[in-house]
Amino acid sequence: MAEIRLKNVSKRWHNFVGVDNLSLDIADREFLVLLGPSGCGKTTTMRMIAGLEDISEGEIWLGDRLVNKLEPKDRDISMVFQSYGLYPNMTVYENIRFPLRVRKVPKELHHEKVMQAAKMVELTDFLERRPAALSGGQRQRVALGRAIVRQPTAFLMDEPLSNLDAKLRVSTRAQIKNLQHTLKVTTIYVTHDQIEAMTLADRVVVMNKGVVQQVGTPTDIYDNPANTFVASFIGSPAMNLVNGNIAYGTFVAKGIEVKGLQKNVNGAVTLGFRAEDASLVSEGGQLGAEVYSMELLGEATMASFKIGDHLVSIKSGKEYRAEIGDTIHAKIPASICHLFDAQTGGRLARVAAN
Amino acid sequence: MTPSARKQPLPLAIISTGFVILWVVLAAFPFIWTVWGSFKVEQDFFSRDTFWDAIYGVRTIAQTGSAFTSDGYYGAWITRDFLSSVINTLIVTVSVVVISLTFGTLGGYALARSGHRYTFWILMAALVFRAMPHITLVSGYLLPFFEMNIWGYLPTAIIVLVAINQPFTLWMLHSFFLSIPKDLDESAMVDGCSRFQAFRLVVIPVMWPGVITTGLFSFLLAYNDFATTAMLLSQPNQTMVPKIASFLGTVQQEGNVMFAVAAVVSATAPLFVLVMFFQRQIVSGLTAGAVKG
Repeated sequence: MAEIRLKNVSKRWHNFVGVDNLSLDIADREFLVLLGPSGCGKTTTMRMIAGLEDISEGEIWLGDRLVNKLEPKDRDISMVFQSYGLYPNMTVYENIRFPLRVRKVPKELHHEKVMQAAKMVELTDFLERRPAALSGGQRQRVALGRAIVRQPTAFLMDEPLSNLDAKLRVSTRAQIKNLQHTLKVTTIYVTHDQIEAMTLADRVVVMNKGVVQQVGTPTDIYDNPANTFVASFIGSPAMNLVNGNIAYGTFVAKGIEVKGLQKNVNGAVTLGFRAEDASLVSEGGQLGAEVYSMELLGEATMASFKIGDHLVSIKSGKEYRAEIGDTIHAKIPASICHLFDAQTGGRLARVAAN
Repeated sequence: MTPSARKQPLPLAIISTGFVILWVVLAAFPFIWTVWGSFKVEQDFFSRDTFWDAIYGVRTIAQTGSAFTSDGYYGAWITRDFLSSVINTLIVTVSVVVISLTFGTLGGYALARSGHRYTFWILMAALVFRAMPHITLVSGYLLPFFEMNIWGYLPTAIIVLVAINQPFTLWMLHSFFLSIPKDLDESAMVDGCSRFQAFRLVVIPVMWPGVITTGLFSFLLAYNDFATTAMLLSQPNQTMVPKIASFLGTVQQEGNVMFAVAAVVSATAPLFVLVMFFQRQIVSGLTAGAVKG
């Protein structure tokens, strides 16, 4: 068990930059999630930590060991692969036992350790089967069992849930969270699913095009996105973003006008707010537009409007009904609004409005 | 015949069954004819009058008193010492298969897992050498072999056969290795294997069908080779195929053609056993379920 430190780590293939100058301190026992769209460098980062990918520049420290030049086997980590990477010629029992066997753990301990791990991932009934005779969820649990059978410095998980169906994903997610809590091992988890990131992580690292966009707790990232990329990536639906102009604390775009914003910025900005923070009203409000579509979500109703090129969604109570084409108003108080630089997309810090 | 689940219209069933039977007869006839004929004397099997002689064995009865004779086998195995060439063939084929597979699995794995661009050119070069007629390699080697005084020995022929065979085994095993997901070796390496241990403990067990198939093709190449073995081996070191050819080449002696026919049958029989024995391994796909399902 140890902390992991990445110092100015970069990965390049010829001219292509996979990961650009990434620095990260991961605390002992922390559950860190690397989040981003496909091709953002999150898996590459994890593979560099595992030793499966060379590091072009920078240093990776596991505890007090510089591991840049170490083989994967000498880094003492365990990893769960997206496609599980189970050994098809071995039974579940042998699969879970394999790390003990190759690491020359004394033979007497094998059975106990394998059974313990199998119990944790609820596989005791399937130990004699081969991976081919297992369902996707069971295979996934074998991979987990193989990862936890020895006590590694860190767990690395590369989108372990992406091949499971929606229902199984929820239960396995809970299982992973619980396992990590029980075993208290530093865990790095790669995903493109922001819900997984929000539910599992102690801290989330949002990446895009090889560059870290924001590092923070899930709440932090949800409530205070560092830029428009993070804002548009996190949350379901993502944060509403509207391009417009601000002058003397008043933001104006077609069909929308918000007063009482900070006065220190003027000119083109992007206004952001969460669908659930705004509310639909019959009269007045800061937004008035025709309904573009209505979606019933069960626990709520979602009304969308077309503001310029952007689709703006606003959540309302589950009883709320309106027809497409009706003109509706919405209340968007200044307190729920975030401002972003129109050019760079960076967050414009909120200053005390006076 | 078991009742088929999907019903075929009767005329189609008749035509397709008839076609299969015709094909089997066409394919099997030469061999069956040779086996039958190998128990006759030359004047019957190569009769100028009528092929019925070969069936009834008129002269076989006249010469030996029975419709079947094992004179051909006796001549080939006892008189002309066919056994020594069987042993030579065994040595050559086993050596060629073992050496080819050793280099082929190691090289094929390296080529399949390497990210470098030159692997493509190595494979291209292999393809070119594979396409070359075998005799080009032999003629180029012949003079140096004479000068180094290593002509005529089995190891020399083995080296040349491996050289001929290696490009093919590399290609074939390379594509088998490509079909095995990279995640498998990577998870083995994270689990605590060195690269070679991952290869030995995880990849090779999954690779058996590929190794056996490639091994079988290597075996057939070495077993059936004529160009190399005929040119490079001295008389006592001959393998079966050039030995059979030498039976044919001395037709002035009566009965030698029948030695060849008997030897051909002797040389073909093991192939049947081999293919039947290995067909399950060749077909079986152990990789099923290796990755996501």
